[in-house]
Amino acid sequence: MTPKVCLVMRQFGNLNRAWTQILRNLGIDYTLCIATVSGTGANIQTPQGVFSPSSPDLRNYFRQFDAVILCDNTGNLTDPSLINYSVFWLRWNAPEDPAFLFFNPYFSTAITESGYNSNFPSDFPIVRPNPSDLAGTLYAADGGSPSSFSPLLAPNFSGRGACVLFPTENIRAHVMTICNTHTDNIPYYWRLDAAKHSTLASTTYTHRVARNGRAGEILAVPAPPTNAEDTETYPTDCVVAYRYRNIFWLPHAIVRASRAFNIWDVEFSPFVFWLLYGLQLAGVRPRYKLPVQIETDHPIESHASTPPFNFSYRQQMEALLAKHDYMRDFARRTGTAIIHGVRVGGRHRTTSPSYHWQMMYNTGVPADARAVAQQINQLLVAGHREGTTPCGVHDHTAGNFQGGYWLGDVRPNTRRHSGMRYGAPNNVPIDRGRCCVAPHVLPSGVAPESAITVQIGDAEMVEWDHTMSGTGDTFDLPLGNIHAARILIESEIEEMLALGFPDGYCAGHKYTNTAANASGGECYWQALKEFGFRGVRSASACNNPHLTKRVVANRVWHGFHLITDVAFDLAGGGMPYAYGLYHPDSPSESDAVRRWRLDHGNDISANWTTSAVAAWRAYRRVVCQAIGNWLSTTAVALGAFYFHPINGAMIVSLSDPLARFDGWSKLNVIGHPHYNHAVELLENMDAVVRLLPDVLYWGTITDVMDHRERVMG
Amino acid sequence: MTIEYSRDDQRTKETVSPSTPLPVRDTSRFVDTLLVATTGVTADANRDLQGSTATELPTLDGCMQYRKLVWFYFRASDAATTYRVLARATDHNGAPLGTGWLLLATGTLPGEANTWGRIEIPSASDGYYDQYRIEVQRTAGSNYALTSKIVGVR
Repeated sequence: MTPKVCLVMRQFGNLNRAWTQILRNLGIDYTLCIATVSGTGANIQTPQGVFSPSSPDLRNYFRQFDAVILCDNTGNLTDPSLINYSVFWLRWNAPEDPAFLFFNPYFSTAITESGYNSNFPSDFPIVRPNPSDLAGTLYAADGGSPSSFSPLLAPNFSGRGACVLFPTENIRAHVMTICNTHTDNIPYYWRLDAAKHSTLASTTYTHRVARNGRAGEILAVPAPPTNAEDTETYPTDCVVAYRYRNIFWLPHAIVRASRAFNIWDVEFSPFVFWLLYGLQLAGVRPRYKLPVQIETDHPIESHASTPPFNFSYRQQMEALLAKHDYMRDFARRTGTAIIHGVRVGGRHRTTSPSYHWQMMYNTGVPADARAVAQQINQLLVAGHREGTTPCGVHDHTAGNFQGGYWLGDVRPNTRRHSGMRYGAPNNVPIDRGRCCVAPHVLPSGVAPESAITVQIGDAEMVEWDHTMSGTGDTFDLPLGNIHAARILIESEIEEMLALGFPDGYCAGHKYTNTAANASGGECYWQALKEFGFRGVRSASACNNPHLTKRVVANRVWHGFHLITDVAFDLAGGGMPYAYGLYHPDSPSESDAVRRWRLDHGNDISANWTTSAVAAWRAYRRVVCQAIGNWLSTTAVALGAFYFHPINGAMIVSLSDPLARFDGWSKLNVIGHPHYNHAVELLENMDAVVRLLPDVLYWGTITDVMDHRERVMG
Repeated sequence: MTIEYSRDDQRTKETVSPSTPLPVRDTSRFVDTLLVATTGVTADANRDLQGSTATELPTLDGCMQYRKLVWFYFRASDAATTYRVLARATDHNGAPLGTGWLLLATGTLPGEANTWGRIEIPSASDGYYDQYRIEVQRTAGSNYALTSKIVGVR
């Protein structure tokens, strides 16, 4: 049976297109309905007619859907109305009625409309928020501190969240969570009327969505702490999600805003978990599940030993080895494939020990560190062959600045590989020559016998009088042409082969994540296709920092995928590594709290050294934001979420690197809380995947590209 | 002799047969959606529909096959706004022939608050440019959302 939902909103102009994009990606059909006003006197405009919100006709109309979704929400609890017209639907509880999904629902006591208040069910068990008595009707959440702007608007930063316990599934998960908020910009959770809930929980109720056969069900609550340091607790009557008969009262899912998106590039919807969870609870079975996967940049990378960590190369490699061993094991357990972008170029074009090849073979690196780096490489090769850690080329030496493909300048003294088709001593073109782009009109005799045919996409041309490489291995290489692209890509693959990998494109996935997400332009995409690639990760502005190119709008160029890039490292702003979830003495953006703007009301920074709960608060917010961004990447953008393992390598406990976060009870080498980014990302996302078996599965980048082809039609 | 061709996904080979004849261009489909975007219109100079102020960065790339672009928009405010439509060609590697742009059109963005607009690019004759950059700049009033859809016409 075709899954189908109905989206109801007050104004089409405020519809966030993330709603429909996610539904399209899941293969769920949808219908949009518009309420003429926000009050109970509204008419509901449907494709099959205009109905009164309380009419049997509308009720019958709704019965064709698996679920009806209320899209509107607000951050002001003093509004007199927003979705008042929906109050009648709270009583449409027959087995034939659909599930109703209310996200961040507006049911404030500030609603004075008698039509609303007289029809609001008297046995509804969640206390209505009172803007004049917030403390008595809601629970301030996530530290109770205000965001600097409406928390509903949080994009890929400034998130608010919680570790949530789902009692029925018996799973704890970190998810971005706001039940309601107000103009104070504080996130709130709901207060349960225990007596009403008790009655509902003991009342038999039959509906396909009532999995416990009762009229009321607590779906989710703030999870109790796992460590006594974490004193951010909530009373037992605090809930974050509830089912009242066939009505689901759920936290905020998608902000109400006029947002349309470049076809496959999207703004973030980090609260999207609750939409996915709501659809699953409502029994909306998607045609397609969404593949969850993750990637890393630079599986082997290092930095000079610097204070305060003073990690030797060996210690850095040991921290990375533990992470990679864990990730390979995780991929084996779950069936995902964790893509790694191997930082090539070290064999021929740089002697920096931060590069993969150099870390393994540069004699300037201590032998004990090289030995560990070689262990990592062996682990990656084995994982590549078994399908758990597919590795591909990732070259920061091809261009200037931070590297990546294209950059329409000349790279002086480029050193290439030897042998193969484009290596020394073969004399090959390195720049375009004279050409005829319409060979069918080329007069005979104009092009010499040495002319070659070049194809880029649909265009085929004849070229001659090229700039040639000569037989040497070093020359100035103009980067913006297909000949340069072929030389560079073959050189990168040659290095991968020399490292022991059987290929340079993630085995059967035929994919890689490109350095700096600079995938070049048409000439590089063409060359990548020629070498067998099916797709690469790419920024929209695809030759940064040159900035003269954009990927095609639908991110598919002649069947070649240009996958949206979404990074989540703990440190940003070009900082090489993180000092911790938070560190009061670190440079700007060198800790996750400041990188992702999570210090709401300074409630982490002001308490870091005096109150242990601040570390737990930081942990919750960082993980919630990361998982929210990853889910948004998965469900909305069908993109690639990634991180740099070295970025968080210094903040793990060297004696117990794979330990889960445990506040001040587990410390790293500088006496601050230990945190392993790889472990936390994967374990916390695994909890979400286990919570959403109807919607998500651990997949691979191949699954992502297959799905893009499926839903992009 | 067996004749094969690549399907649209560029990966699957299909053997020519009476039931799978060689494909031909679908002449019923002359229009492609190239961009759907909401832009926060500000007073910043050089802000394009994708929100970038990097002046060499195209809003749309790979557009050579399109005779004309049609820009539909819905503006949430009547704040006075100027727009510029820039274009240029690239070589057969995709690189712009030079820096800067050819100015195709500039003017005041038509329309009141909560109204629709439609602008043809270019307004006369044919385009066939590889890259376009479309900029909007508010010159009065407050920031607002401009939702655009651009289609390419072959």
